[in-house]
Amino acid sequence: MSGYTANQATTAQDASGIDINARAVNYTCGDCDGDVQLKRGEPIRCRNCGHRVLYKKRTNRMVQFEAR
Amino acid sequence: MVGKKEPPKPKPKAAPRGAKAKAATAATTKSGPSGYDAEAVAQKDGKRALAEDVVGAIPTAADDGAHTSAADKARRHKAPLNSSANEFAAMLEPFYYGKHLTDPINTAEDKWNLLPAFLKTKGLVKQHVDSYNHFVDVELKKMLKANRYVRSDTDPKFLLEYTDIRVLQPNRAEEDDLPEGHRSSVTPNECRLRDMTYAAPILVDIIYTRGGQKIQKRGVKIGRMPIMLKSNKCVLSGRNDREMAVMDECPLDPGGYFITRGQEKVILVQEQLNKNRIIVESAKGLMQASVTSSTHERRTKTYVIQKKGLIYLRHNTLSEEVPIVFVLKALGVHSDKEIMLLVAGDDSAYQENFQVNFDACAREGIHTQERALEYIGHRIKLMKKPGGMRMRNYHLEAIENLSNVILPHVPVAGTNFRPKAIYVALMARKVIMAHLDSKLVDDRDYVGNKRLELSGQMLALLFEDHFKRFNHDFKLSIDKVLKKQNRAQEFDALAHFGVHKNYITMGLERAIATGNWSLKRFKMERAGVTHVLSRLSFIAALGMMTRISSQFEKTRKVSGPRALQPSQFGMLCTSDTPEGEACGLVKNLALMTHVTTEDDEGPVHKMIFLLGAEDICSLTGEEIHREGVYAVCLNGTPVAATNTPKRFLNSFRRLRRMGRISEFTSIHINHDFHEVQIATDEGRICRPMIVVENGRSKVTARYLKALRKGTMEFEDFLTRGLVEYLDTNEENDTNIALTETEIGLYTTHLEIEPFTILGAVAGLIPYPHHNQSPRNTYQCAMGKQAIGAIAYNQFMRLDTLLYLMVYPQQPMVKTRTIELTKYDKLPAGQNATVAVMSYSGYDIEDALVLNKASCDRGFGRCQVLKKHVTALKSYANGTQDIINAAAVESGPEFGSIGPDGIAHVGARITQNDHFLMKQIPEDTINNRVGIKHKTQSVKHKLEDCSFVDKVCVTENEAGVNLIKILFRQTRRPELGDKFSSRHGQKGVCGLISPQEDMPFNDQGICPDIIMNPHGFPSRMTVGKMMELLSGKAGVLRGTLEYGTAFGGSKVVDMAQVLVEKGFSYTGKDYLTSGITGEALQFYVFFGPIYYQKLKHMVQDKMHSRARGPRAILTRQPTEGRARSGGLRLGEMERDCLIAYGASQLLLERLMLSSDAHEVDICEGCGQMGSSGQCRICDNDKGVRKLTVPYAAKLLIQELGAMNVKVTIGLEDEFERGYE
Ligand SMILES: [Zn+2]
Repeated sequence: MSGYTANQATTAQDASGIDINARAVNYTCGDCDGDVQLKRGEPIRCRNCGHRVLYKKRTNRMVQFEAR
Repeated sequence: MVGKKEPPKPKPKAAPRGAKAKAATAATTKSGPSGYDAEAVAQKDGKRALAEDVVGAIPTAADDGAHTSAADKARRHKAPLNSSANEFAAMLEPFYYGKHLTDPINTAEDKWNLLPAFLKTKGLVKQHVDSYNHFVDVELKKMLKANRYVRSDTDPKFLLEYTDIRVLQPNRAEEDDLPEGHRSSVTPNECRLRDMTYAAPILVDIIYTRGGQKIQKRGVKIGRMPIMLKSNKCVLSGRNDREMAVMDECPLDPGGYFITRGQEKVILVQEQLNKNRIIVESAKGLMQASVTSSTHERRTKTYVIQKKGLIYLRHNTLSEEVPIVFVLKALGVHSDKEIMLLVAGDDSAYQENFQVNFDACAREGIHTQERALEYIGHRIKLMKKPGGMRMRNYHLEAIENLSNVILPHVPVAGTNFRPKAIYVALMARKVIMAHLDSKLVDDRDYVGNKRLELSGQMLALLFEDHFKRFNHDFKLSIDKVLKKQNRAQEFDALAHFGVHKNYITMGLERAIATGNWSLKRFKMERAGVTHVLSRLSFIAALGMMTRISSQFEKTRKVSGPRALQPSQFGMLCTSDTPEGEACGLVKNLALMTHVTTEDDEGPVHKMIFLLGAEDICSLTGEEIHREGVYAVCLNGTPVAATNTPKRFLNSFRRLRRMGRISEFTSIHINHDFHEVQIATDEGRICRPMIVVENGRSKVTARYLKALRKGTMEFEDFLTRGLVEYLDTNEENDTNIALTETEIGLYTTHLEIEPFTILGAVAGLIPYPHHNQSPRNTYQCAMGKQAIGAIAYNQFMRLDTLLYLMVYPQQPMVKTRTIELTKYDKLPAGQNATVAVMSYSGYDIEDALVLNKASCDRGFGRCQVLKKHVTALKSYANGTQDIINAAAVESGPEFGSIGPDGIAHVGARITQNDHFLMKQIPEDTINNRVGIKHKTQSVKHKLEDCSFVDKVCVTENEAGVNLIKILFRQTRRPELGDKFSSRHGQKGVCGLISPQEDMPFNDQGICPDIIMNPHGFPSRMTVGKMMELLSGKAGVLRGTLEYGTAFGGSKVVDMAQVLVEKGFSYTGKDYLTSGITGEALQFYVFFGPIYYQKLKHMVQDKMHSRARGPRAILTRQPTEGRARSGGLRLGEMERDCLIAYGASQLLLERLMLSSDAHEVDICEGCGQMGSSGQCRICDNDKGVRKLTVPYAAKLLIQELGAMNVKVTIGLEDEFERGYE
């Protein structure tokens, strides 16, 4: 039922290299709605307004619902 | 005033309140030019013309203007601000509902408009907010004054003095060091999301000595005070709806709670027996008068008891009971005659009864004050003092004890013991009076003898305790420094000041977060003072704010405290109480009740003497108790006497109505004890009432018009003496008319609106006055479980568990309370078309048949939001929990993890899917480099799938990163889901029937729900039938009907509407069977009823297991669905099997299917061996295998561990040689 396939996420980087693939992820600020790029270990804070509540963006994968 | 000039204007025919409102709405809603509508408009016009004649006779606004004060003008200036372009402002206006500015005014009907005006200025939870404001603004400063000096034991020159204390606006903890002018942008919702405490800094101004000079320091922080939402310190106070929306806050939220560590906490209202009042009761056959004195310094209880005709004073500090005569002598009443007169007056019966007490004087030879003091001094229990061996000064000890320890609330100024002597004599007098007339014994359950302790008082207790401790700690630390003679640098006490700052902050926060109030000073240890605010539904949250918990133990079997007291009328809700053990002990406030805050005694004290009462200390006993003389008691303590009590009372009331005394001061006459009681203390329950003078209500159409226009507010009604607050005691001393027509010669007050005897939760019920009372109580419990809208900001919240209805509707049949509580804006239910008939046999025992097509269209559909929080902890060795996306493995259960190691928002998570790749360090103790992390990813446990609704990453005040993931499930009704109407009629869904099979009427309307008619006869919920009738009429003519308690749309009118629309006046319809296509042989009661979906859903409860996990210790199956546990065969079930004799079944259930265990028992010693060997006998000769429950084996071993030997005796099942 789910829209995604499993192998998509597992691009097989082995668990040893922790910091190497710390990719930046986009979050949305809870106050100003601006984009916040966050790498791992960075303080959770909006660069624009200093707000400390960030939300993860909705996936761009397809999501399939069961209509009931 | 002008009001008196008005002619009485009898209304020819009092039209039903609902009817007019309806007509008005009917005119505005364009429901088509049907015959009825035209008629309604005509009817309404006629009514208006009639009423306008009445209005015309009233003095015009110009006349009115002359009497308005400057304050009124200022208010008028303010008024347009409220009604500005803000689209929501209309809702806040008291005349929003169903009335227009031009509509005629009828005092008999429209006086209820005072209620929305009252709620507008005060809000629904005014008790909490007022109490908190009083604490922060007044009580805090008083407390500082009482503890203003800190001195050092070692350096007599050192002095620190507090000059002022204040609480600033709330801010974040990290902003605490910014200058005072800084305005923080913190909002309550940020505190919820970030698990912070919503608090503000507490600042003090101090003067202290440094070196030789005095240093003044302003704005020194001593801690942080949790801020109550919507209190005057809160950022939400005075904001309009738009500003609230900007702050992500719901404008309909009542406030009145705290946010500590991200949790919403309510300090429940506590019910207690009143303080500083004499309570006469007969305990174990003894008559006793007791007083619980409560001052800032001390809390103690003093008794005056009568034993075998003799009266004694009993107190904790006295080793034995002291004869009352000695006490009075010690208090400076010299002659026996004066004692006699002070206690008994000139009443011969009382004198006779008291006479025997003087025998003790002769027996002990105590005739002077000196001797009496010595006698008492000898009986004072020794306090633990190290140097207690030296000679005690009994004399001084007795004086000290009498002035400060016994009855400390009665002031002793200098050596004037007269007030205390009078007080003790009064207690003795009351004992004698109650002894001779048992009617005079006080009722502890009487609401007038109760006080409510609110959040402000609870916090005041807590804060004072922590503040004293703070000062103490501060003193200790400066003492340590000052002790050293040669100091290198000049000593600055301020450096020591900041060190203990955290103490107050943490103390307050911890108490509110855990609910444990422990005060060392008063030896008070109370748990469960605060509760998490229930956000199951809007009404649940509201109901929690009005809840009163009592201090009674729940186990006691007495019915008194649980029973409904007549004095609860209008003060406490008559319906809203839980069922079961807390029944009647947990109560709820009614809609209009207010709980008083403390007022200053001083001005009232002065006023008493200004009104001509004489100081009681200057009177002799004879004068005090003379016929016709009434003692004037201020907060229970006699201060004056008057021989014209009625006149005194009337002039006092007049002064109060003029606003010269606080409106919350109460006065009443107690004719039994010849007392005029005046109360200014806190925690009294009171409610507003319209003043009636000379047989006429003081609230006239003119004032109501001004109220409607917005030129007058509720406060103006109070200041003008049109409305006043009455507490329970004063209420008992008045004649209150329920309606304007009932006003008679002796009427003093007029009820504002009768439906206010119910609270906010019971107010949801339509036509509650037609229901059997337990049904209303059931609905009060169920209304709080209904799924609906929580708040306008419900999607911005991250609650642990949230139930939301997808398509909530406001009820067809509303009540005034619904409008006032804004339940129609945040409803929890849907208007279902109900057919009351039998169908299919799946509707027995209250089960409901649901229409499948209705469910498809969204009936009863709800969302369940569950939160998962992970805090990334830091450890002592510098390591930290991390989220590592690289730790994902291949496989579908890792499919939804995103590049940051957290599941995608919107991803579908099924059982055992991973949604958070958390890793924890392998070593959290040793400090070394290269510590590896081990994966501890979090999996979805539930069987049913959820969607990731929201992922929030944030940081709390301590700097710990939090990851909050919200999961969403959308559920449609299924077999076994629980529904209920608003009349305590609950039922589960028994069948979801296809629409084709369901009956339909001649318009093709098909029911959403089929309810079995057997639900009605025994439950007698006539209100439900009336709701159906009114709802049906409302649907047909396009109006919302009212089912307000003691009012609402009339059945006759509704039947009339039905007939006009071509329906039967009975509400019964002709239906056709959907299965056979034939006409049903009977007419069916058919129409809309508001149905609530309750939070109990099968999906959360459904559980079965064949085999499963076992508990480690006992090896028995686990318990509960969450641990996929077994189904318990309990004691009672066991009893059944025993009685039946099913021994093999018993054996199977209790052992074989549970924790059967094979043990080796030695025949010789009766002990358990292992692997076929007996350790004690050291052989395997008599070792036998035996199957026993593992729990039994465990018990034997545990007993062995406690030095109890258990021997198992083995016997042959069949006699030897039987073969
Ligand atoms: Zn921002």
